[in-house]
Amino acid sequence: MKATDTRNATINGRSIDFARNDTILEAARAAGQFIPTLCELADIHHTPGTCRMCIVEVQRPGQDKPQLLTSCDTPLEPGMVIHTRTQAVREHQRLQMELLLADHNQDCASCVRHGDCELQDTAQFVGLQTARFAHPEYFAGRCVDRTSVSIQRDMTKCIRCRRCLAVCRDVQGTDVLVFANKGVHAEIGVRDSIALKDSDCISCGQCTLVCPVGALAEKDDIEQAIDTLYDDDLFTVVQIAPATRIALGEEFNMGFGANVEGKLITALQQLGADVVLDTNFTADLVIMEEGNELLQRLKNGGTTPMFTSCSPGWVNWLEKNHPELIPNLSTVKSPQQCFGAVAKTYLAEKMNVDPKRMRVISIMPCTAKKEEAARPEFLTGGRPDVDVVLTTRECARLLKREGIWLPDLETGSYDNEWMGQYSGAAEIFGTTGGVTEAAIRTLHFAVTGDELQGIDFTPVRGYESMREAEVTLGEMGTVKVGVAHGLAAARTMIDRVLSGDADYQFIEFMGCPGGCMGGGGQPRIKKNYQTFWHERQKAIYRIDSDAKIRQSHNNPCITMIYDEFLGEPLGHKSHELLHTTYRDRKVEVKHDMKTIWDEIRS
Amino acid sequence: MAKVVIGAWDDRVVDNRDKRFFEIEEYPELGDFREFDPGNPIKAFLGGRGFFAFDRNVSLLCAIRDYLKRAAEESCGKCTPCRAGTRILVEKLEQLCETGYKERSIREIRELAEHMQSSSLCGLGQSAAVPLLKLLDAFPEIVEEELSNGCLHSEQPSQSYVTAPCIEECPSKVDVPRYIDYIKDGQFTHSVGVVLQKYPMAATCGRVCVRFCEMACRRTQVDDPVGIKVLKRFVADQQKYATDHWFDRNLIDQPKADDLKVAVIGAGPSGISAAYHLLLKGYRVEVFEAMTEPGGMAAVGIPEYRLPKEEILRKEVAIIEDLGGKIHYNQRMGTHFSLDDLIERGFQSVFLAVGAHQGKSMRVPGEEDAVQGYISGVKFLLFINHYYINLGLDMDLGKKMVVVGGGNVAMDCVRSALRMGVEEVHVVYRRSRNEMPADKEEIEAAEKEGVIFHFLSHPTRVISEDGKVTGIELQKMELASPDQSGRARVIPVAESEHTLATDFIVPAIGQKVDHSFIARDQGLEFNEWGMIKADEQDLSTTRRGVFAGGDAVTGPATLIEAMAQGERGAESIDDYLTHGRTQFRPERRFQKLLKGMRKLQTEEVEQPIRHLYRVQVDELDPETRKRKFEEVEKPITVDAAYQEANRCMRCYRVYSVVTEK
Repeated sequence: MKATDTRNATINGRSIDFARNDTILEAARAAGQFIPTLCELADIHHTPGTCRMCIVEVQRPGQDKPQLLTSCDTPLEPGMVIHTRTQAVREHQRLQMELLLADHNQDCASCVRHGDCELQDTAQFVGLQTARFAHPEYFAGRCVDRTSVSIQRDMTKCIRCRRCLAVCRDVQGTDVLVFANKGVHAEIGVRDSIALKDSDCISCGQCTLVCPVGALAEKDDIEQAIDTLYDDDLFTVVQIAPATRIALGEEFNMGFGANVEGKLITALQQLGADVVLDTNFTADLVIMEEGNELLQRLKNGGTTPMFTSCSPGWVNWLEKNHPELIPNLSTVKSPQQCFGAVAKTYLAEKMNVDPKRMRVISIMPCTAKKEEAARPEFLTGGRPDVDVVLTTRECARLLKREGIWLPDLETGSYDNEWMGQYSGAAEIFGTTGGVTEAAIRTLHFAVTGDELQGIDFTPVRGYESMREAEVTLGEMGTVKVGVAHGLAAARTMIDRVLSGDADYQFIEFMGCPGGCMGGGGQPRIKKNYQTFWHERQKAIYRIDSDAKIRQSHNNPCITMIYDEFLGEPLGHKSHELLHTTYRDRKVEVKHDMKTIWDEIRS
Repeated sequence: MAKVVIGAWDDRVVDNRDKRFFEIEEYPELGDFREFDPGNPIKAFLGGRGFFAFDRNVSLLCAIRDYLKRAAEESCGKCTPCRAGTRILVEKLEQLCETGYKERSIREIRELAEHMQSSSLCGLGQSAAVPLLKLLDAFPEIVEEELSNGCLHSEQPSQSYVTAPCIEECPSKVDVPRYIDYIKDGQFTHSVGVVLQKYPMAATCGRVCVRFCEMACRRTQVDDPVGIKVLKRFVADQQKYATDHWFDRNLIDQPKADDLKVAVIGAGPSGISAAYHLLLKGYRVEVFEAMTEPGGMAAVGIPEYRLPKEEILRKEVAIIEDLGGKIHYNQRMGTHFSLDDLIERGFQSVFLAVGAHQGKSMRVPGEEDAVQGYISGVKFLLFINHYYINLGLDMDLGKKMVVVGGGNVAMDCVRSALRMGVEEVHVVYRRSRNEMPADKEEIEAAEKEGVIFHFLSHPTRVISEDGKVTGIELQKMELASPDQSGRARVIPVAESEHTLATDFIVPAIGQKVDHSFIARDQGLEFNEWGMIKADEQDLSTTRRGVFAGGDAVTGPATLIEAMAQGERGAESIDDYLTHGRTQFRPERRFQKLLKGMRKLQTEEVEQPIRHLYRVQVDELDPETRKRKFEEVEKPITVDAAYQEANRCMRCYRVYSVVTEK
């Protein structure tokens, strides 16, 4: 910044320097002056100016009287005198809040955001004392869409902050959401006015992480989980996904990056789970299958680059956007689905349980896992391999509903000789770059017979949305790998693949930014997006580095399952249980002028 | 003409209640507000900055209630004060009318209205409660009196109109903020749908429009105008299947009787637009086109590098056929058929959109002798766009060319000449660069491609040898004080004649209507400039049932003006065939009212707004593009479109009139 760019203004009597195009809100925050906000989301530079809560009083030089202006989208001007707390400002903020509530469905007690609602927070910040306007008729006609098995939309709660739109459009590049209708009928809609389940939505749930109210949320499956857990006739197996244990603690004030694996095991056992196990076991299994699949493709001239298939958001995206690239997708099921498949065969056999009586519940960082579990490919005899999927957030709600306060519990451990162990390589599935690193550890051993020196393969670690690395695998020579996380990056990566610009043999794709640790089912932190990734990621790598077993192929339970049940990777039984197929799910919407004009005129 | 009884607009309050009507002086900045439609006096007028009452016997609260209702309908629903505030205000007013005047309720209403004014996101919300506030401030006793009379119980005849500066400047009155809103909202189908309500050539207009809208854009007060044209191209290109699949006969709600046939002469922008609207209204339409391809001047006058014909123009024209219209090619009126023939063939009405395709000559010595190397700009473009590109015919253009003129046709000629391989291309223009009527972007593009400009130069002689052009004699000019119309005058500099050697001269100094399409006995008259005489309002010609529009009526103008005339012609023909005469259109009356009070409408941007760069359109590199006809401007990305759309400040305002009936 050049010295001449520095300008000066005052906020609440304090002198502040600013640069061109800096907003009043940015400067106020830098100066430690709090201004209540609602629609704004600094982490994605989102200042749509729709909620009008952040108004301040501004006296511009040369003007005779002060103006009320929104601080989030008004640039500072030299000589501006700003007051954030005048009586007029406070009165207008309160009135604004009353108007916001006028067409908001105030059924708070049943709301999914109860106790965690940014609208309520803001009402408190502005000192709301009464809400004079309640007009249920204003929101009566708005859309409530419960068609998706992953995400539910209740537009009677929507306050039009457009954060979901920004995330879907700019962060994910999926661009499925639109702003529909006018006036009090205005709401966030789905492109081409179709049901969410039929749309291009890939169920990543990133929108649910930023919704300040209860308008967008994961579909709540807690009732089904309780039904299953409390049914004495059923044998319930619960699996815990890698990224959930390092985030769940946030819901119990345990700080960021706390590993609550042991306490969660205890909690689930208390709730009546017959066996609590780790998705990490099947993550190890996936590495064995996927690693061998890659080697086979490379040896036999199969389709490369091979794409990972663990992230259902990503798989949905590919099926809906580039079905022609389905041959590049690894045929290995995700760890969640491998778990369901082996639990209801191998584990049932070993534990002598009738598979028909067995139910699998997953605790996942992911909303798309709900849709994945419901895929027709993953039904056996009409029953899903995974019966109930709870996101990390639902898991927290379940525990709270059951009167369990996680920090109070003893630390438990897995106790199962067949599926009770996992490697550090499996745990890092929870972060971007992790699947690749885990695969390289095992591939190196598979090809050369030696462990990768130093174990860690750090070139694929990091936060950049696209990364690449090379690894030498003995006689096979150099293998080039790529990593992309978040679907905007995935799209760019795919464009590079299609243009021939990406000469990789293997690409790890994660639907959510950050991978599973940033999953759409993870705890949401008010007014924040992706802020605490670093803590979550550090915790994941800590679990890996502290693990006794660091490579999937060294997991004794993995050796056992191949010896006693599966035979060999890519063998007949593996194919039957651990591999799958994909479908062209491109959404074609036929438009006609008549409908469009009718909607425009309405 | 407006005698204001009471009024409050901006800071000015008028109160003539103590005067008798004849004593009231006319309000100078208002135009003619006597009647809305004939025999229907205007009793009050409301806008975003206040109100005027022209009659004592009017309920202003009722007018304000109706005004707020319209604002509530137009509210985009993004910000709360406007979305909820407009409705709650209406309800509060109605409640108050039930209970009678109450100080507390008035306070609450004022609080809400002030909140809307000070904290709405866009001008619509900020202005929606202004008439109410003005009334409360200036005439509280009227509020009290009206409330005690139960004023809101009865309906009061009124009309409202919602517009924005960009809409008013557009000849076709395209709802620009709406289609930009739909882009912001992610609804590209609806965005292009808004444009298609006006004309079928959305992608064409998105490429070649001269952008009256952008000149009116209030964003100019902040940084640069919104890229309205490029956004139109974006949505039209995005929804490219619109032209293939969206249109069919099902779109026509009420087909008219089979014998109600309309003939449209000319498949140019005006004719196509007329045919489109007539078809949508349910008429059977046949278009007669003299050329073997559609598009008129858009096809033969606009070069391929600005408008790809096969991919864009022809597909958009094909909508006419999707809607059941017929286009007969190679059917030149005056050669293959006459106006009388059409009537005999059962066409009840005819729309003449024959264009202005005859180039004007320079009227300098030597013109007659130049047989080779001398053709008009329109002919030159016709040759390149039609005979060269479509049919592959070649022509010797020499190495050096001089184009005379400073308009868009001249720019199209010079840039096309480069692409035809002419090595050195000159422009000769009699005024200076500032006076050039051509689109600034076109001038810059020509400069980048290496065209040499000679300003303040005027041709005085065409020099040729054995009928072949060898040079042009030019005279230096100098600028003098502007003439009455405000246009800069130029006067010749004595003894400044000099010669510029050239192989080819293209005068691009205007076009006129070629009269060979009609014989004298067909009842059609022309004005003193040779254009078809047509009524300014309804485009009716001197022959009953025959209407005319486009360049043939206006003289050489723009695509958007021609398309606007086509729509207007279709409305008039519909009126004629349905009612026998032209009907009153409230929106046109509003447009005229607003034009008449322009001074009261101009609005400063009163809030600091963040600077946002206007979208940059990628172009082919001048060095590579200047030798080929490939489209120069590249499409913008979806992200860029969202960003550009977000620059729109949505300057909608509601206007309403209370009328006698």
